[in-house]
Amino acid sequence: MQSGDSLPEPTKELSWPSDPDDLPRRLAGRAELQTTLQQLFANASGELSPIVGGWAAAQKQLAALDPGAYGRSRNHLGGAVTRLSPYIRHGVLGLAAVRDAVLARITRRLEGEKLINELGWRDYWQRLWQQLGDSIWEDQEPLKTGHPAASYAAELPADIAAAQTGLACMDAFIDELVSTGWLHNHARMWLASYVVHWRRVRWQAGARWFLQHLLDGDPASNNLSWQWVASSFSHKPYVFNRANLERFGAGVHCEGCAAARRCPFEASYEALEQRLFAMPPSPRRR
Amino acid sequence: MAETNTVQHPILWIHGEALGPANPVLLAHPDRPAVFVFDDELINGAGLSLKRLGFLYECLLELPVTLRRGAVAAEVLGFARRHQADGVVTSAAVDPRFVAICAAISAELPLVVLPLEPFVALEAGDLKRFSRYWRRAEPLVWDQFSPPEPGPNS
Repeated sequence: MQSGDSLPEPTKELSWPSDPDDLPRRLAGRAELQTTLQQLFANASGELSPIVGGWAAAQKQLAALDPGAYGRSRNHLGGAVTRLSPYIRHGVLGLAAVRDAVLARITRRLEGEKLINELGWRDYWQRLWQQLGDSIWEDQEPLKTGHPAASYAAELPADIAAAQTGLACMDAFIDELVSTGWLHNHARMWLASYVVHWRRVRWQAGARWFLQHLLDGDPASNNLSWQWVASSFSHKPYVFNRANLERFGAGVHCEGCAAARRCPFEASYEALEQRLFAMPPSPRRR
Repeated sequence: MAETNTVQHPILWIHGEALGPANPVLLAHPDRPAVFVFDDELINGAGLSLKRLGFLYECLLELPVTLRRGAVAAEVLGFARRHQADGVVTSAAVDPRFVAICAAISAELPLVVLPLEPFVALEAGDLKRFSRYWRRAEPLVWDQFSPPEPGPNS
């Protein structure tokens, strides 16, 4: 749901008196909202997202839901993904309501299985957060990369934050993250893998960065997914290669990429794993 | 936490995990004053960008809710005092910050926490990997699906 300058119409006047320190509810448009927020929250960087918040916007997005198309195409950057995550994250739409919308829209179970499964992931992360609390910021298991945790940089490198890595794909993902506050899940995984494994940065630095920008930024889904990529919440680290990115990214990034001839992702998975990780030798047989 | 019937004139605390009109707190008390507080400590500590605050703000403009900023528990309690409330009603949340804020509120006023409809009614169990959770959860979700009756021409 994206739009120009219009703001949600306040549903009704408040039926109780206001206080001089209340924040304003009457704003002429998105431009005024942005100016107001810049004054109120001077430390908050950037501008408004083109993605509009609110129930009305969520309803329009929900009306466009196509569970079958989602199941067939969701891994592709141009696929029929729902873009409901910001509304679900902030409870504009409850997960149960989205579940009901999916079940009401399909005629066969197979049509809805992938999407229901993804809603299940959201529920799973929330249950884990309830159980783990703030320890979702800590490694759930040792890394399986062969590198000591201390060898990963604590801070996000400046060229990554500024979308100036010189890699067309990564810079495009970073631009989209920072300007819109939304990224396709596959792009999140590629970017996270690049940050943690190619640049050897602690996943916590990347997770904090995503939470600053993602409109659906949820510490549970976000951090535990970063841990899944890093291998502290999975059996092995997640890596991708150029062929995978070209296949699911519609090949749009590599054409014209200044680094295409020395692409760090151009290799087989075996070669990349050898290059990126220091796997401990297999346990000796007794 | 207090029982629902112990509070006659509550104010409503709306938080960032339930910013829709189906929030059970708004449905249960449509005429009571409601407040949302932009959590300065969280916003500054996490370094949240303007996009995120703008998204929340737009969600909130559609709800009948007073907007404040500052320390959440103190603001909620101040709002309660201004409205001579005898308690606070809110909806359940997962964020660990919620627990601390609830403790600070309920130290001064009765606090009622209303549950949200769960995605799946599942008892606590093994969450070590998604597959273990999903093995138990998936059948329960699909129990609620009834394929449409085939029409006369199908």
